[in-house]
Amino acid sequence: MTRAEGKRLRAGVAFTSLWIVGLAVFTAYPVAASLFYSFCDYSILKAPVWCGLENYRQLAQDELFWKSLRNTLFYAGLSVPLGTAVALGLAVLLNCEVGGRSLFRLLFFMPSIVPVVASAMLWLWIFNGKYGLMNGFLDLFLSPFGLHGPAWLADPSWSKPALVIMSLWGTGNAVVIYLAGLQNVPAELYEAAEIDGASAWRRFIHVTLPAIAPVVAFNAIMALIGAMQLFAQAYIMSEAANGNGNASDGNPARSTLFYTIYLFSTAFQDLRMGYASAMAYVLFLITAALTWMAAQFSRGRYEDSP
Amino acid sequence: MGLAARFSRIWSKNARLPLSPLSAPWSKPAEENRPAAPKAKPPEPPLRLSPRHKACLPLLLAAALPAGAAQAVHVTYWEKWVGFEAQADQAVIDRFNRSQDRIVVDYSSVSHTDRKTLVATAGGDPPDIAGLNEQNIATFADAEALLPLDDFIRRDGMTNTEWLSRYYPVYARICSHAGHVYAGISTPKVMALYWNKTLFREAGLDPDRPPRTLAEFDDYSRRLTKRDPATGRLTQVGFLPQDPGWWPWIFCSWFGGKLFDEQRVTFASDPRNVAAYDWIQSFTRDYGLDNVKVLSSEFGPWASPSAPFFTGRIAMVFQGVFYDNYIHQYKPGLDYGVGPWPEAVPGVTDFAMAEADVLVIPRGARHVREAWEFIKYVNSANPDARTRDELRGAELLDYLQVKNSPLRVWSPFFAEHNLHPHIAMMRRLSASPNVVSAPDLGIWQEYYREVISSFDRVRLLDATPREAMAFSQSRLEKSWERYRRSLERHGQWAALGETAP
Amino acid sequence: MTRVHKGSRRVAMGLLLLFSAAFVLPFVWLLSTSLKPIEQTLSLPLTFIPWAYTADLGGKRVEVTLDFQVTQPGAVVRFLAGEDAGKLGFLGARQLASGSVPATVVHPVAAGSWHVTQRLDRALGEEGPAPLWDVLPRDRIDSRIRPRWDNYPRALAALGGDSASDRDRVGFWTFLGNSLAVAILGVLGTVISNAIVAYGFARLKWRGRDAFFALTLATMMVPFPALMVPLYGVFKALGLIGTLLPLWLPTWFGSAFNIFLMRQFFRTIPEELSEAARIDGCSEWRIFWRIVIPLSTPVLVVAALFHFIFAWNDFLGPLLYLTRKDTYTLALALAGYQSQNGGVQWHYLMAASAVTILPVIILFLFAQKTFIRGIATTGTKG
Repeated sequence: MTRAEGKRLRAGVAFTSLWIVGLAVFTAYPVAASLFYSFCDYSILKAPVWCGLENYRQLAQDELFWKSLRNTLFYAGLSVPLGTAVALGLAVLLNCEVGGRSLFRLLFFMPSIVPVVASAMLWLWIFNGKYGLMNGFLDLFLSPFGLHGPAWLADPSWSKPALVIMSLWGTGNAVVIYLAGLQNVPAELYEAAEIDGASAWRRFIHVTLPAIAPVVAFNAIMALIGAMQLFAQAYIMSEAANGNGNASDGNPARSTLFYTIYLFSTAFQDLRMGYASAMAYVLFLITAALTWMAAQFSRGRYEDSP
Repeated sequence: MGLAARFSRIWSKNARLPLSPLSAPWSKPAEENRPAAPKAKPPEPPLRLSPRHKACLPLLLAAALPAGAAQAVHVTYWEKWVGFEAQADQAVIDRFNRSQDRIVVDYSSVSHTDRKTLVATAGGDPPDIAGLNEQNIATFADAEALLPLDDFIRRDGMTNTEWLSRYYPVYARICSHAGHVYAGISTPKVMALYWNKTLFREAGLDPDRPPRTLAEFDDYSRRLTKRDPATGRLTQVGFLPQDPGWWPWIFCSWFGGKLFDEQRVTFASDPRNVAAYDWIQSFTRDYGLDNVKVLSSEFGPWASPSAPFFTGRIAMVFQGVFYDNYIHQYKPGLDYGVGPWPEAVPGVTDFAMAEADVLVIPRGARHVREAWEFIKYVNSANPDARTRDELRGAELLDYLQVKNSPLRVWSPFFAEHNLHPHIAMMRRLSASPNVVSAPDLGIWQEYYREVISSFDRVRLLDATPREAMAFSQSRLEKSWERYRRSLERHGQWAALGETAP
Repeated sequence: MTRVHKGSRRVAMGLLLLFSAAFVLPFVWLLSTSLKPIEQTLSLPLTFIPWAYTADLGGKRVEVTLDFQVTQPGAVVRFLAGEDAGKLGFLGARQLASGSVPATVVHPVAAGSWHVTQRLDRALGEEGPAPLWDVLPRDRIDSRIRPRWDNYPRALAALGGDSASDRDRVGFWTFLGNSLAVAILGVLGTVISNAIVAYGFARLKWRGRDAFFALTLATMMVPFPALMVPLYGVFKALGLIGTLLPLWLPTWFGSAFNIFLMRQFFRTIPEELSEAARIDGCSEWRIFWRIVIPLSTPVLVVAALFHFIFAWNDFLGPLLYLTRKDTYTLALALAGYQSQNGGVQWHYLMAASAVTILPVIILFLFAQKTFIRGIATTGTKG
């Protein structure tokens, strides 16, 4: 290394020193320790004791683990496609030359920055079986038929759909992203298509969608990763909706027992941290796979030209 | 102004809380004429770095640090109560704080105390004293979350046995686990049979003679069950197992069964447990499941005027020493009796169940010696107290909360001028050789959840007792195996195994 | 932008109006519930407007609650016998006609009249004289719109939950202060540390830089739950559990996302500026401080805003690290809002929620453009 190189290296390290510490202490060490703990019997009050694959074996047989995984996949499988469709739809609508666009955009975006606790309480109230807004609204259509809205969060079959609906309220930031993506589609492509005689619908299918597909795919996968880590809403809503019972039971009937909630309760209520670390690693692997997929879609997007 | 009147005044300012049972007519005005001693000002707390100050450390580095003079030690005490029980506790704390000037106990009301204490202990920031439910002692002790009190007892010149001899045996057992003392009692409970004398009279039964055997109990229950002739619906039942339904495991013990024997789960394998649950299911079968559902839908919460025992829907319940407070509040004038559980196993008389709220010192607490001093105070009493002002420690707390005292020796005032109308019966039951408490088991919380699950399935006719209990037992056996293996791995099993329940 | 026909534009407008109404409706419901008295939140059919009803009861004009409607005609009577002797009650026409209950008629009641009760502003369990009541036809009851603004102070007072004594009570301002402390300290840490680190990645060339940056990006894929347990152990070893430090200290050591964001931006600043300064003999730090930072306000503001929102809304962090009520943030205090005897106080809960949301909304309204631009950048550039 030349002296100049050495000097530049020192400067570089000096500037990134904070991050070096941060990375080591708050990311690298926990990742490694998590792996280690996942092979141990560890409650933070007692020292970790190696137990090999015991935790993973137990995980495979743990019906609550599988249930939490199923619940999480169900939720993610519903909320991500629906959320993407709604966000994309709204973005397309906003992209038309309508007046007051920025006002609309504002209204769509605002719910996504609401604190999750506040929105959980609000939607808990909206989904109240008797006096909530949702059933009040549904009854307008259902009562002529003698039907009534379901008990939503108190009903095991409807608690996850309720959470999905709540997640749709927060798609505002995706709307903004998709709108920006739509606006980046070069006008020439549309002009060319128009010249070729394509109708609005065909233009949408053949020009718009392919152009924004990478953005949509990337954000959808990010949303999927987020959905897999759903915690706060489900935690708060199941605790409050079921009379201050133990939130991590995922009541009613464990229908809202999601992966991160189960992880959290195993680690910090049962103090089985080795077991929780095994769960955490499984989540890590799933997330890593998804992230890799996302990276494929946006390859070339953040590798700026030198 | 008397203590009781002062309570009800303070307490109605905090008006969301239930009425204190200590307001008239329970308070005896003549004795309250003497004004209570003025509250001494607590000593000034030393300047401490509160958590928030620690958070802003970089900004406050220039600020003055603690002025070093030795002041009283402040002990944090987390307790679950709000309302009149909290005020009773505060009165005891005040008396303790006033009686010496080295230690000041600071009461902090914390919801979900057990869970939060465990988490705080795990995080290294526990309170000095925590008020837990005794059924968590085994788990917390095995998890190394509690400090054994043996050393403190020894330093005070006693052996464990000598210390524990102050309690009735059942409470002594409650405080111990694996041969060590882990807790002191804060307030005890004992469960007895409560019956509605008015309904007894209407059914032609002697209101002062409760059923003495299981057979009599069943007979009485049948005679106290009424149906509407027109619809066949139940209007009144003699007994309904799910009310209150907080301790569904007690029926197994009542029938002589064991929940855990020789390191093995015996929920389903002990035939007496199954017999108990057959008996439970027989009620639903006799009444009819739909009838029971319809009847239960009309029940209000247990602590309200529309509770089934108060509205005369259920004639006999098993409830605890605290229940009289609620009767007095929500249904004063209810004519009721309190007695021992009927004899289910021949020869086992005066069966009852005991529970307690306990005080523990979490591991990692900062002021353990001072915490012990307070626990000791709350677990002693003035044996010669003849007036209310002479009450100390356990008796003061239990007098104000209107519960029984766990100590063997009762002062004349506590025994004879107690506010609780059935205190003599409660004493008799807590002293009985046949009183039981929950098993001292590390996996008790899970066991309890399984018992509830089986209980619900059985009483809702969802499964036969044998099936439901066998299912629970197999799950519990796996859990126990895993728990035991973990204890072995951490080198705890040897000490535990010898003294396991 | 696509060129659209006028007709499609109208359809789009209509759909947008519909959807925006759907998005706004929950906020309206939140506000409406927070301004109602409790009995109007728990009544059907649903209404959005808080009313105040007054009527003449016992010669006095008092505020009343509308309890229920009487379906059959009858009368308000005074009972003559039995355990309710001397008390007022209501009997339907059939019971009156049958004469089975001895009573004198005080005044007759037509079908469709409302049973009203005097509204006493008493909390549960407080003692006092029993409230007056009557059964009146609707036209004898006056109504006006009256939003109950005093729900807000009461809700905030109740935020700390039940406490045993005044000494024990934790108030709204404590929670607010905690939330602000965490948010502001976090914003400072985020902006300062990430700017420094991103400069190192963006404006300096040094050996291993790109590999290190790739590693940085890779860490973005580690989900927080995978770090939770050992991180907790780290903070415990440092004795920080139970304090607010774990919530903002890590921000002073950089975060992959913000490094990425700022590096993007720094790279758009022309190299010539740095070169010129270097030739003049400036140290890197001076270049950073004097040239790059002043030009980077947009990205710094975006990072600050994002982090503020994150810290304000964070729930899992406080849940993990905070043990004592007096250290709780607003989010955690709101989550622990306990239901009192007799069910959840929805009007208070909605008021408290509204107060939690308000700062974020205000911040957003002031900084909309920055927000939107920031979100768009992160989403489209991947």
